[in-house]
Amino acid sequence: VADDVNCREASRLLSVAYERKLSPRELEALQAHLDECLMCRNFESQLNFLHQASERFRTKD
Amino acid sequence: MPPPAPTTDPRFAEIEGHRPYLLRYALAQLRDGQQAEEAVQEALVAALESIGSFGGKSSLRTWLTSILRFKVIDLQRRVVAERVNVEFDEGAQSEDDDWLDDLIAFERCLDRLPPAGGRVFFKREVIGEDTETICKDEGISSSNCWVILHRSRIALRACLEKSWFGKDADGGG
Repeated sequence: VADDVNCREASRLLSVAYERKLSPRELEALQAHLDECLMCRNFESQLNFLHQASERFRTKD
Repeated sequence: MPPPAPTTDPRFAEIEGHRPYLLRYALAQLRDGQQAEEAVQEALVAALESIGSFGGKSSLRTWLTSILRFKVIDLQRRVVAERVNVEFDEGAQSEDDDWLDDLIAFERCLDRLPPAGGRVFFKREVIGEDTETICKDEGISSSNCWVILHRSRIALRACLEKSWFGKDADGGG
């Protein structure tokens, strides 16, 4: 059974996933939360957008 | 009063001796020879001006590198800002306009982060340095670094909400 995570913990995991690999347990808990939380799914895509924007910020010529 | 001529400082030769190393360091970050030399030059001038504050607790090279590091980041920001201004002058149009607006909003939001957060985020996401290097340079633990990055992302997301995510968000609408 996956650990329950709240939005605060889910957003932290989404962010830290850019720095290290999440454990299977963390991934499972995160996925379970995302399945039910639109707000955190939005946050996930916004982080992704931020990441891409940073990349463009560096490589823009 | 102009600063004293560098050659009169007894440590000038010693500082100057680190130039090749500093240049290599700047080049690794900037990947542009001219910009790297510019950053090194600015760092060496700044070092000579503030040599009095160098306490000798770290090696001279470490001290010089820490000055250079800020010059490099400064320069990277300046280059982007100049580019934005040029494109403004030329009246850049069409699809690039959106991205230009985004770039300006992004820079403004970066500037509004706390200094440490802005620096760490810039190094991690914009320069693309690995977390380990950043931790070492900033003298923080990796978990502390992750916390800083997470807070910065949250602050940036909030700051950019209006200019970016608000534009085409249809959530709840």
